[in-house]
Amino acid sequence: MAEFALDCLGEACPVPLMKTEKKMAEMAVGDVLVVNIDHSCAMKNIPEWARKQGHNVEIEEVDDGEWEVIIEKTK
Amino acid sequence: MEKKVEQYDVVIIGGGAAGLTAGIYCGRARLKTLLIEKSLVGGLATYTSEIENYPGFPEGSGGTELMELFHKQAKRFGVKFKLTDVRSVKLEGETKVVETFRTDYHAKVVIVASGGKPRLTGAAGEDKYLYDKGISFCATCDAAANTDKTVLVVGSGDAAIEEGMFLTKFAKKVIVSVMHDEGTMDCNEIAKNQALANEKMEYVWNTVVEEFKGDDEHLRSVVLKNVKTGELIDTPVDTCFLFIGYLPNTEIFKGQLDLTKGGYVLVNERMETNMPGVFAAGDVCEKFLKQVATAVGDGAIAGYAAEKYIAESEIVEHQILCGGKPRVVYIWNAIDERSRELLPVFEALENNNADDVEVVRVDTYKSNGIARMLNAPAAPCALLVRDGAVVKQLSCDEINAENILTGCGCDTGA
Repeated sequence: MAEFALDCLGEACPVPLMKTEKKMAEMAVGDVLVVNIDHSCAMKNIPEWARKQGHNVEIEEVDDGEWEVIIEKTK
Repeated sequence: MEKKVEQYDVVIIGGGAAGLTAGIYCGRARLKTLLIEKSLVGGLATYTSEIENYPGFPEGSGGTELMELFHKQAKRFGVKFKLTDVRSVKLEGETKVVETFRTDYHAKVVIVASGGKPRLTGAAGEDKYLYDKGISFCATCDAAANTDKTVLVVGSGDAAIEEGMFLTKFAKKVIVSVMHDEGTMDCNEIAKNQALANEKMEYVWNTVVEEFKGDDEHLRSVVLKNVKTGELIDTPVDTCFLFIGYLPNTEIFKGQLDLTKGGYVLVNERMETNMPGVFAAGDVCEKFLKQVATAVGDGAIAGYAAEKYIAESEIVEHQILCGGKPRVVYIWNAIDERSRELLPVFEALENNNADDVEVVRVDTYKSNGIARMLNAPAAPCALLVRDGAVVKQLSCDEINAENILTGCGCDTGA
């Protein structure tokens, strides 16, 4: 079970979600992806999309206006 | 992986205006408070580019900026935040359980402030193009990506029209699909007049979405259907924004909380649900007006009610319905004359019969929470308690030392 990081700092919608989808497709079940974002818009679509796919999602607020979205691939 | 268990006084589900305000009140009352938000703190207000009518901001405020201030204030009062989604809840009993992916949170009080989620059209192809593929619910998020493009807004309420106008600052053309006859819109009059005068906005009246079309990558066009003539209008667009209302986020509460047919939580004016210790606030409730300003009011009531509920449950548990000597609970009201006239009866009991019976006075003037927990009738009245249970009620005419002592099973010496 590998852990991957995806740096989307400074990137606005819909780029972070597009990158996340692409990266998740390359990963195996059980792998974890940590996406770094600092645009609040990405907080609205990345977790929503990932949960809709059935993945486990948790978010850490690293700093004011900066987050780590942690996605565990479940299928 | 083993689940962690964490204890809190209050767990608030939802980090919008209602949940944050409840958090501010609970935190300030020094309750150990956790707020769980599934993604971005701030809720629906963060989807709004401009909030013009929230008092205290004469120049208006951005939704995200306003909510960031709420967030900061809640943090200042020590509210903990957890950004994850709630999987399930067990609301019955004294200890409520709120379950997330990794942790079970145990709480004395749960405040449901889970708000709503955007309603979808249900039209063909919708699932394929959500979020980054062309169907959006957030103009502030996706406006910049649509600079010089053509977008479609579906809906004619305040959100649709105000966000549509915001989009004209970026997009080259904003087409608006309105279900009603020409000139009829659901939004307020000011927005309507401004929108009709906006040269970048174009209206397709009497239409609803029939189908979303595109390729594997992205949405390319939206087929609108004229509800009167049945005519299909293929409308090429880069992005489609849906503003056709919201549905309450209440799936996980079904079967535990009383909901309306539409799924909204039923609450009374104290924001109490049918379940003791569970309160609800904001857009998730059945209510007349859904605004930041009304969510704030709900949140304040729910936060205050949570504090009262916890304090009063403790009194009931540790001072009234507990073992020890027989007890008489005098339910009275400090501003009621009849209530005050009976006080000497209880003073005499304390002086003369302290070994036989303990006196507890409950003043209902400020809060009748304890009286309600004990199912007491209107003040003044007295409840006799033995071995942790109410064994007898005395109405105001029945209140005297003899009735109390015999009711408590004490030998009156008569």
